[in-house]
Amino acid sequence: MKISYNWLKDYIHIDLDVETVSKILTDIGLEVEGYELFQTIRGGLQGVVVGKVLTCEKHPNADKLHVTTVDIGNTTIVPIVCGAPNVAAGQTVLVATEGTKLYSGDSEFVIKATKIRGEVSQGMICAEDELGLGTSHDGIIVLSNEIAAGTLASDYYNIQDDYVFEIGLTPNRIDAASHIGVARDIAAFLSLSGVCNITKPSVATFAPSNSPLSVTVEVANFEACPRYTGLVIRGVHIGESPQWLQNRLRAIGQKPINNVVDVTNYVLHEMAQPLHAFDVSKIEGNKVVVTTLTEKTKFVTLDGVERELHANDLMICDASKPMCIAGVFGGIESGVTNDTCDIFLESAYFNPVFVRKTARRHGLSTDASFRFERGVDPNNTVYALKRAAILIQEIAGGTIESGIFDSHPNEFPSFTVQLQYSKICALIGKHIEKQTIRTILEALEITIAAEDGDSLTVMVPPYRVDVQRQEDIVEDILRIYGYNNVEIPSAIRSSVVFSHGVDSTKLKHNVSNMLVAEGFYEIMNNSLTRSSYYQKFESELYETRVSILNPLSAELDCMRSSLLFGCLEVVAYNKNRQTSDVSIFEFGSVYHHVATEGTVIQKYKEQQHLAICSIGKQMSQHWNYPNADTDIFVLKSHVSKILQKLGLQSYRYTPMQNSTLDGLECVVNKRIVGRLGVVKPAVCKQFDIEKPCFYAEMYWDVLLELFGSPIQYKEIPQYPEVRRDLALLLDNSIEFETIKKLAFETERTLLKHVTAFDVYQGKGVPDGKKSYAIAFTLLDKEKTLTDAQIDAVMSKLIAKYTSVLGAELR
Amino acid sequence: MLQKIQELLQTVHAFEAQTKEEVEQFRLTYLSKKGELAQLFEAFKEVPNEQKKEFGKQLNILKQLIQDTLERIQAQFETNESVLQGIDVTLPEKPIMLGSRHPLSIVKNQIIEIFAKIGFIVSEGPEIEDDWHVFTALNFPLEHPARDMQDTFFIEKNPDVLLRTHTSSVQVRVMEHQKPPIRAIFPGRVFRNEAISARAHCIFHQVEGLYIDTNVSFADLKQTLLYFAKEMFGADTQIRLRPSYFPFTEPSAEMDISCSICGGKGCNVCKYSGWVEILGCGMVDPNVLDNCSIDSKIYSGFAFGMGVERIAMLKYQVKDIRLFFENDVRFLRQFEAAL
Repeated sequence: MKISYNWLKDYIHIDLDVETVSKILTDIGLEVEGYELFQTIRGGLQGVVVGKVLTCEKHPNADKLHVTTVDIGNTTIVPIVCGAPNVAAGQTVLVATEGTKLYSGDSEFVIKATKIRGEVSQGMICAEDELGLGTSHDGIIVLSNEIAAGTLASDYYNIQDDYVFEIGLTPNRIDAASHIGVARDIAAFLSLSGVCNITKPSVATFAPSNSPLSVTVEVANFEACPRYTGLVIRGVHIGESPQWLQNRLRAIGQKPINNVVDVTNYVLHEMAQPLHAFDVSKIEGNKVVVTTLTEKTKFVTLDGVERELHANDLMICDASKPMCIAGVFGGIESGVTNDTCDIFLESAYFNPVFVRKTARRHGLSTDASFRFERGVDPNNTVYALKRAAILIQEIAGGTIESGIFDSHPNEFPSFTVQLQYSKICALIGKHIEKQTIRTILEALEITIAAEDGDSLTVMVPPYRVDVQRQEDIVEDILRIYGYNNVEIPSAIRSSVVFSHGVDSTKLKHNVSNMLVAEGFYEIMNNSLTRSSYYQKFESELYETRVSILNPLSAELDCMRSSLLFGCLEVVAYNKNRQTSDVSIFEFGSVYHHVATEGTVIQKYKEQQHLAICSIGKQMSQHWNYPNADTDIFVLKSHVSKILQKLGLQSYRYTPMQNSTLDGLECVVNKRIVGRLGVVKPAVCKQFDIEKPCFYAEMYWDVLLELFGSPIQYKEIPQYPEVRRDLALLLDNSIEFETIKKLAFETERTLLKHVTAFDVYQGKGVPDGKKSYAIAFTLLDKEKTLTDAQIDAVMSKLIAKYTSVLGAELR
Repeated sequence: MLQKIQELLQTVHAFEAQTKEEVEQFRLTYLSKKGELAQLFEAFKEVPNEQKKEFGKQLNILKQLIQDTLERIQAQFETNESVLQGIDVTLPEKPIMLGSRHPLSIVKNQIIEIFAKIGFIVSEGPEIEDDWHVFTALNFPLEHPARDMQDTFFIEKNPDVLLRTHTSSVQVRVMEHQKPPIRAIFPGRVFRNEAISARAHCIFHQVEGLYIDTNVSFADLKQTLLYFAKEMFGADTQIRLRPSYFPFTEPSAEMDISCSICGGKGCNVCKYSGWVEILGCGMVDPNVLDNCSIDSKIYSGFAFGMGVERIAMLKYQVKDIRLFFENDVRFLRQFEAAL
């Protein structure tokens, strides 16, 4: 919203610099997003003075030029070469003196002393267009001879600089959507340091004639139109508005149209009451009907667009047809044109909800709808009407018919609010004097109806739509008093609260830092993704996906059900930017639609997952270390370390394959805590990823549920561990995990650890077989193991492997 | 013999080896089977019994000195010797890269830590929400534009299921389930139906905070936020509050901090105003308290909310919000040393 500083001064007597006013406005809740200098004429005619042409002779070397001498005041006489055909001695002209900046379109140039075809010229005698005073280039401007030489052109033309504030109006402050509204707020602020009032324009000169109102009005929908007022002015002369009015409107970015329309716009920005002027000759039956029309009625608005009406669109109609969308936009047929002679002027209070819905339905937002939607002052319609009528009469002539039509079945009373001084101060956290509070309230037109000790009853005018409770009034008091005038206490007040449950943030921190130390980058992907990924590769997840009803695009049409595709997008993104070896991880939510009934929480599941993804070399090429590719065992080690970090020692891996991964499932306490493996080539192909990509997705919520066994110190064993190795010749199908499991089932007390330290296939090993070298670690907590004990364990193991797995010792 | 011991004590005491060979020579001279010490012990057998005590004592002192000296001169040569002789130790190290946390995690964690120090706990809630928790309970009027399809992503309509547009929904959930005092912050991801550009994204992250108890005032709010600003942006940071509007707070404010880039002198980050907008806040609207079954006649509270991206962009001078979600490692790498 644009507010002109000069315009404000019509209602409030202030003489503060623009920066101070800007700061005041922001501090009291009318945020100034910026302000700029507005000049009715670019450059403000600076450097242009009135001159008297003393002599004028033909240029010796040019047919079309004249050489003149001009008195520019202050006893200064300058030679000027002039090309205008109408220049003559004795004229009073406008001279752009040396150093003056003139503008032509977007370019500017500076007047310099120069020689034109050998003759000295120290200025320029100007035409209208050269100064921005008009469009004529027919010749230089010739003024009346009474004007003294040296008079500043800016004084002669009464050029004033203005500053225009761009205010970001919050939706609760429609009371300030006008110059008077803003002036009222400034006055309230200034009243804290002395008396400051605003002056509203008087309508005492409103003088209707004796002829009765010739247009009848019928309001058919009082819900949508709680108040409708109107009057008729006959015999107006439509034309251009006077300069002052055009300047006012131009300053706030409005284009002048004609005198009547300009006045309605002027009053809107003066007091936030939208007005509409109809051409009486176009009102069929001389009857205005305020009503809704049947669904799909066609209507062409002022912008030439044909619109289909909704059954709840309130329309201003005549006896047979709609003329205007009430409070939103006029019609192309009924408006004021150059031929208009009689006008019907409307000033109404429309129901904000109706206007808002209609404006949205038609995708329209106008200065009028903006104000009606948020609520104009229902008690202001007649005042605005009179103000506009007076201005129109002044500018466009005409006579006002007697009688103002005014329909309002109900009154619009003030809101009554009960306050307590003590509560106001308690909420603010500072003692504010009663008198200060009273001053602020009065300046904001909130009247004190009764006061009794601590208690206060106030009446809030109905245009303060958002001020109906004590807290709302506290905000008003506080914003005028100054948010920044509330001192900050030296101590922080804090009640004691307790956290419960596992500290997920902390655990994420621990795991993340560990991964970071291993060279992983944390990434964050959009939760919105494309459903086609799931359709192609994860049909089960596709079935339970969460779709967006109004997606931004087909690429973002559903919530992710897995972190996989996001990770692959990142791998591809970096690969295309010359980083083909990357390790990344992401903590993120995945979403599923799990039921059709119930509350949101029951129908939709959100789970936290941790994705780990690695591709390419384990490390960059080095002079000493092998340049190995990453593989599933590297990935598995990351997963195992995370589990250890979370205190989950008893994890197990079992082979698994699904539509996207080939690898393992990780199990803790019979619960699957994650899946890891190499991404299937068909999936990688979708992302143009050629190298094997290793990926793990861990179920963070499940891990948190399993986490939590407190750490308890155990005696450090006093007796030595013993290691024994076996080389087993096995069928290819036998897995290490089976060997390990069998070992612990066979020896439950002494066996501590089983690992494979060599895997061999090739010469000496028959086809279909493999050789595993397995190391067993044994420990007795009570005493040193004897050879007999160790041998007994090993014999048991060998017997089991032979009988159960068909293993041979090598 | 005593005299011999005294002489040896002095010689050994003053002994310095110049080469490794001299160390070996020392060992041979004194400690070999025919060495000086062996000879003295041999001679000791002949010492009359009444003198054995005196002689034995001196002999043991000598023996100890010889052993200590040998250790000393051996160590001297061993520590001076290079184990890595011939290896160019300036060759590159084993190239295990250091990764990095995501800048948004870093900033989010920093915010959480700052508020944790003054007694705020962390609560989280669902991103898929109903109308009640996102709008109605928070005092949004039925006609509020945020409820429109053009501002919010919907999963279902009538009744509405939507992606939360702010983490204030978690405030509602906490207030519904806990009695005051409540002192918590709510970090999380939020969604807006907004075209993706350098300045806006359809997802971003917020941290909101809430304090509800008896007699919580606007001055308390200012104190908490000043503390936050100084912890986050430096002890010299100033704050400024401007009246604003949110449906769920009354009075409402927006907070600016003195520009951390130019220190308030004016630069292009603060658009030459010296101030940068950092968060929204206010006193919890009594309607919101009542909607959550907290008696607004007894309790009052403040709430605040900030965008993690906005703070990260300010802190790290990131000009394009999309960088946070493109996950270019050349971008992420720059945050490896961040707090």
